[in-house]
Amino acid sequence: MEYILIQFVNGLCQGSIYALMAIGYASIVGVTGLVTFAYGEVMMIGAFAAYYTFQYFADQLLVGILASFAAAACMGFLVYKICYERFFDKPRHISLICTIGFSMLVKNLAQILFGANTKAMPSVIQNFFLDIGPVRINAVQLIIVATVIGLSGALYLLFNKTQAGIRLRAVNQSRQAAALVGINVKRTILFGNCLGCGIGGTAGMLLAIYYQSLSPTIGSTFGNKAFASAVAGGMTSIPWAAGGGVLIGVIENIGTAFLPNSYRDVFAFVFLFIVLLLRPEGLSKKEGIRP
Amino acid sequence: MKKWLSIVLALALCLTALAGCGPKTPPETTDGSKDTQAPPSQASGTEGAPAASELKFAVLAPITGNYAEFGKAFEVATKMAADEINAEGGVNGRPISLTVYDTKGDATESADIARQLVGQDDIMGVIGDFSSTACMADAPIFGDAGMVLLSPTASHSDFTPMNDYMFSIMGRTDDESRFFISSLVKDYKGADNIGIIYTNSDWGNQCNSSMMDQAAKDGLTVVADEPYTEGEIDFTNVLNKVKNQNPELLVLIMQTVDCANALNAIAQMGWDIDTVCQGASASQQVIELAGENAEGLCSTTSFFIDENVPREKEWLDKFVAGAGFTPTVHAAVAYDAVYIMAEAAKSCGDNVTREGIREGLANLGEYIGFTGPIEFDETGAIFRKVLIVQIENGTYVRRTDYNYGNQ
Repeated sequence: MEYILIQFVNGLCQGSIYALMAIGYASIVGVTGLVTFAYGEVMMIGAFAAYYTFQYFADQLLVGILASFAAAACMGFLVYKICYERFFDKPRHISLICTIGFSMLVKNLAQILFGANTKAMPSVIQNFFLDIGPVRINAVQLIIVATVIGLSGALYLLFNKTQAGIRLRAVNQSRQAAALVGINVKRTILFGNCLGCGIGGTAGMLLAIYYQSLSPTIGSTFGNKAFASAVAGGMTSIPWAAGGGVLIGVIENIGTAFLPNSYRDVFAFVFLFIVLLLRPEGLSKKEGIRP
Repeated sequence: MKKWLSIVLALALCLTALAGCGPKTPPETTDGSKDTQAPPSQASGTEGAPAASELKFAVLAPITGNYAEFGKAFEVATKMAADEINAEGGVNGRPISLTVYDTKGDATESADIARQLVGQDDIMGVIGDFSSTACMADAPIFGDAGMVLLSPTASHSDFTPMNDYMFSIMGRTDDESRFFISSLVKDYKGADNIGIIYTNSDWGNQCNSSMMDQAAKDGLTVVADEPYTEGEIDFTNVLNKVKNQNPELLVLIMQTVDCANALNAIAQMGWDIDTVCQGASASQQVIELAGENAEGLCSTTSFFIDENVPREKEWLDKFVAGAGFTPTVHAAVAYDAVYIMAEAAKSCGDNVTREGIREGLANLGEYIGFTGPIEFDETGAIFRKVLIVQIENGTYVRRTDYNYGNQ
């Protein structure tokens, strides 16, 4: 029983990382209305931006968060300009294929620029342990959970208490209606995309810190998990995407308590299938907005 | 402006795709010039050699991907050997030329390249690939074409028996795994109960089953035996599962990057456990990636460079100058593989053929290479003695304080 409890807590921590990735993903899909497959590479660029910042400028977490957010947001700008801007009125698969090509381009360029080898991520978090009964939580896990909660709160405020947030929500609900009330839809989508990518970059940095290593291929695996979490949550709902991420993390960890670890991804994706079979619109209650 | 941007990006996509595909297209030759389509005289390692006299061999190596460190080691070490052979006059007066192909540590990629190579009649034999999985995927292709695949590192016992054209000079995994349990785990560490985490690959599965057999013979209790998917980054989950069984010693069966990630995860979760690894060999990458978390790790290797031996020190310096990092046994056996291939070609006299190379290797007898004696058995594999090394103060140290340590 103790072991299950430990696995549950590990699942929550693991799920928090998925949640952070999924929040960014849902932000992007929510405002652009388009699915992206370049998200994993955006996260990877965020991780490398933080890596070089820690190496050459300052080994402080906050500086790393800013660097990874900024670099990934710039990637978001590129993704928008190349993959989205001219395809909003075209069939959706065009921009989707464009993001696949863009992700290949970025991954290969990263291998050339950063080298193909795995690199050690500098430890910017002083590790300590918090023992609660049989459960041991480390500093990195705590900081990840805190960052997810902090960012979710900040996003909630942004979406609900600011003009920019209201514009984002309006575009999320209906681009045509938003345009009719005078919202610059393209600029709002660009902003939303950069914001989502920035969050993805921060998630990439936290992943690299958590696993203490990074490589140009780090985005591929986690991009899929972000996608799965966002799909489980309903694609465009930020709170439910986060919930989807946490659920996938917990289910993976509890599942592998009973079956070999090789089945880990099986649990994540079987869960996704079940969610989609029972609720094709995802866990979110909103209907009719899945891109 | 947008059109120009599109054109530039499209070109960049093409270029990076080509770079990512690696030398499926323009490979690197021994002198660093590109492409087999270049005039042969330029591709030769010996300046001014007649184009027609070149002896061509291919090298399959994971230049990119998870095993990139080993791929780079293959590239540098084989080039060192080829340059030395050519400087000594080549093989029966003919310079040898190596072309390196990037297989990305991926069996599918390796098999694709193998299909291309068997159709190139001027290539007499192939050195590589790194992993047993990739070599076993390539074996039927080369076997059907009657072309030798000499792997410096594939150690799965099923590889060389696949057909008459498969050879390996690494020693067999099952031999090393048995030594690992008897000498390192039981004798040197004195452990009674162990937990095992192994990579779910051909190599990892064989290591694991050989260790389980030997553990049963030696009276060791295996309290946990957990596989993980190759390329995994998150080890917390599987480590927790093994930790729950409270082993006295943790056995990792994994290559360098995975080993470093696992050691980092062990430190991060605050688990105080003695750890040993088969697969990390004496890789510098483990120390670079895991830092002080790797301190105390014991592993096995069939060759360990002794800097007090002048020849080994000279070789080491030359390798580091070319690669930029310290070599493991994998580089040394790749170096030996070129010499052995040259030796087989030499036995063919003036008429070097693919079949002649196979005959030459099969009848090599005992060859004393840089890594020690090499003699193929009837299946094309060799037996190697194994050493124990440990990371101490950020460097590998050879251990001899166990029963067979000084043999």
